[in-house]
Amino acid sequence: MRRFEDRNPIAVAVYLLAAAGVAMLTMDPVLLCLSLAGALLSLGATGGFGPLRSHGWAAVLFLLTALINPLTYHNGRTVLLVVNDAPITLEAVLYGMAAGGMIVAVLYWFRIFSRIMTGDKLLYLLGGLSPGLSLVVSMALRYVPLFGRQWRRVQATQRALGLYREDDPVAALRGRLRVFSVMTTWALENGVITADSMAARGYGLGRRTHFARFRFTLGDGLLTAASLALAGLSLWGAAGRGVSYYPAFAMGALTPRGLAGYLAYGVLVLLPALLNIKEAMVWHCFNSGR
Amino acid sequence: MALLQLRQVSFTYPGAQAPAVHQVSFSVEKGELVAICGATGSGKSTLLRLLKRELTPMGQREGTILLDGVPLEQLPPRTAAFSVGYVMQRPDEQIVTDKVWHELAFGLENMGLGQSDIARRVAETAAYFGIEGWYEKPVDQLSGGQKQLLNLAAVMAMQPSLLILDEPTAQLDPIAAADFIATVHRLNRELGLTVLVIEHRLEELMPLCDKLLALEAGRLLVCDAPARAAAALRSHPCLLDAMPAAVRLYHALGGAGECPLSIAQGRRFVEERLREMAAPGRAEAAPGAAVGACGSGAALPAAGNGHVDHAAGTGHITPGAAGGTGDAEHAAGHTAACAGVAPSAWAGCAPAAAKAAHRQLPVAAGRPGHSSREGAGEPPALRLHQVYFRYERSGQDVLRGTDLTLRQGEILCLLGGNGSGKSTLLSLAAGLNRAQHGQVQVFGKRISAYRDQSLYRECVALLPQDVQTVFLCDTVREELQKAGADITALPFDLTHLMDRHPYDLSGGEQQLVALARVLALKPRLLLMDEPAKGLDAHARKQFAAVLKQLKAAGVALLIVTHDVAFAARCADRCVLLFRGEAVSEGEARSFFSENLFYSTAISRMTRGLLPGAVTVEDAAILLGGEVAGMAPLAAAGEDGAAGTAPQAAGGEDDAAGAAPQAAPGEDGAAGTAPQPAPAKEAAV
Repeated sequence: MRRFEDRNPIAVAVYLLAAAGVAMLTMDPVLLCLSLAGALLSLGATGGFGPLRSHGWAAVLFLLTALINPLTYHNGRTVLLVVNDAPITLEAVLYGMAAGGMIVAVLYWFRIFSRIMTGDKLLYLLGGLSPGLSLVVSMALRYVPLFGRQWRRVQATQRALGLYREDDPVAALRGRLRVFSVMTTWALENGVITADSMAARGYGLGRRTHFARFRFTLGDGLLTAASLALAGLSLWGAAGRGVSYYPAFAMGALTPRGLAGYLAYGVLVLLPALLNIKEAMVWHCFNSGR
Repeated sequence: MALLQLRQVSFTYPGAQAPAVHQVSFSVEKGELVAICGATGSGKSTLLRLLKRELTPMGQREGTILLDGVPLEQLPPRTAAFSVGYVMQRPDEQIVTDKVWHELAFGLENMGLGQSDIARRVAETAAYFGIEGWYEKPVDQLSGGQKQLLNLAAVMAMQPSLLILDEPTAQLDPIAAADFIATVHRLNRELGLTVLVIEHRLEELMPLCDKLLALEAGRLLVCDAPARAAAALRSHPCLLDAMPAAVRLYHALGGAGECPLSIAQGRRFVEERLREMAAPGRAEAAPGAAVGACGSGAALPAAGNGHVDHAAGTGHITPGAAGGTGDAEHAAGHTAACAGVAPSAWAGCAPAAAKAAHRQLPVAAGRPGHSSREGAGEPPALRLHQVYFRYERSGQDVLRGTDLTLRQGEILCLLGGNGSGKSTLLSLAAGLNRAQHGQVQVFGKRISAYRDQSLYRECVALLPQDVQTVFLCDTVREELQKAGADITALPFDLTHLMDRHPYDLSGGEQQLVALARVLALKPRLLLMDEPAKGLDAHARKQFAAVLKQLKAAGVALLIVTHDVAFAARCADRCVLLFRGEAVSEGEARSFFSENLFYSTAISRMTRGLLPGAVTVEDAAILLGGEVAGMAPLAAAGEDGAAGTAPQAAGGEDDAAGAAPQAAPGEDGAAGTAPQPAPAKEAAV
């Protein structure tokens, strides 16, 4: 099985950035609707929607943006009503909804990103850019929990030694400061051992290589190329549509160019679902005999 | 040709008067497994660091070190780094990266290998070491044993020709340590890897290694096959303490013949000895020795208590012998309890056993004093009643219905595997966590009733497993002054450490300083989590003596430990915790002689041969060896200092029977006030 989320992190990252990038660069309502629908579909295809209440923020965010824009921005020809001598216009409402839809769609794409891109994969991406930095981040990720655990241990010990007195806040604060200062000593002390361990394993003896556990296959290459091409096509199509919100909402007639853009983006946002449906069908075909 | 050769190697640290390593010469052949032993500060680690160029400390080195015939300093940097693998003591701090697979690849990345080479070696290593199951885990989620195995695997992935291990198991529990040693042995056997290992835990390693190196004060004492090396260490008590039980027993019995190393060899040695004692030719000599042994065994405890205890406290082992003491019922009870192990085996060597039975066990620790105290209505120091505790609401119960009572002025050892809830129990007793169900009482008062830290003022103190967490200051002096510790009142000497940084001390020294810091709170109940971890055998012995002195001063001690031998040495009673329940409880000797797996090496070695023998001293006495000179702590000094009547190892009934007699002569610690002073000197 090679589901979308199991593909090479570079391919996945390029795809998600392309899908989210198109949404960020356009205010075309059709593209935004496609993006939101595609994001939700992809979310479902790559590990499920999650419980309903984990989507509440999206509704709140959408409504907030859709409301705040007309309340603060009064441009536009079609006045719906007047509040405190300020006109609320249809155009501002539409723009607010489009902006809200865009923000929510982009956040959903990033939610998929954070779900698929675990620490290992991010480090792999970083390692491609800078192996040295990637090692430093990896060491930091190792160190933070170690430090935290030791901190908690010291605190527990010192509590049992009566360091944090409940009746004297000044003494308690002084105790905390002492613990903090001893933790820095501890960190330096440990750093020496880690440095020894690194030296003993030949760190710093010339060029390091970077071990990557992910292979970049032809399929990953195709996915990357398709993502970039489809995103380019959609933007090119969107640029030709000439959508404008002020002073009045206007969209040009649907040209073949615009249609191509919509189709391209539609295919782009469907890719994760399509890939995973294909994998599921293959699985079903191979295993249905049993 | 030898893989490693040292010729007259000396090393002096800058500013030091004496060399840390002095004129050491030895060679190691390819494929040998070499164990290195020596007390703390004998220069073992320094010696090993000299063999790893990247880790060689600053200082003045003399002599030559040849690795595969090439002087170490002339090796190209890459060869020096990659052909000598080095694993250190602390599992956590050696790990560099955040994921297991990345750690395995770290050294290979440093070598500059290509993707496919790294992938192959990492895969191969992970498979060999059984790491596949946790290959993708963050290192933070591993157990101590897994971390150390990962450190070993990460070094082995670089395919070194020489592997150096500096106390790799010091921070591990016994099971993880045995696993680690087994893995090292497997590497040695299956890959022909040359291994040098510093190890305090020689019980497992000695029978496996090809050579034993012993260092004392920077000088090489012995470098020989382990049996011969062990035999040669007779005049070095410090080193002898670290030897396996079989070796110590061999020396306690005079050290004739082949030196046994493993438990199985030790068992054959004991059988042989019993057969010799049963032989007619020895019939005359044996009783003579028996009288000597009886004299030392019985007289020493009696000195502290008076004649009544002598009769009541020392149980003879066979009914035949019991007739002579005039306390037949008592002795019979003792025999039943002690000899309750394998009657058939007992019958099998009856003549020899009868001989051995004339010798008595100086029962290490008793507690008649407590019986009298309980009679006076003193509440127990700690009482847990039906305690349930879990860390997370949806998690599992760590303690489930635990009952435990610690009497005042008693040492109770809490044993059990990993995750059995030992440390959790301590945290509840120290008031760091609260039981969700059940009661925790400290000196008869609910623990939640101690307000405003009053629990930690002259009442309860906790010595944690990682004693580094105790230290907050830059020098020992500052640390102790701030805490208000009176170092003149301590049962040990710290004056030579006062101006050093606590982190720079050795494990044993840290343990003592932390103890001094904790004792400044004048606790009446002291909780200790693995106090013997990371200490060498000699320090362990001393530490056990210190604990006994605390007990004599009236402190109740609850000690969590994995170290069965340490528990046998200092505990009055032992409790086995299993899955959060106290499943077995008993006076130390009966506890260990009834357990099969959770018991001391000597108990396993002498099962069915010498009933009731738990320590080397016990076995030595039963087999007619001289014990007084060998173990001043266990038999004589401590009992005197502890001020407890010698008490038969039978069980609860015995104790009750002895108590009324013991009580008058026994008035807590105060009653023995004249006694501790000389005994203390003998002990420390």
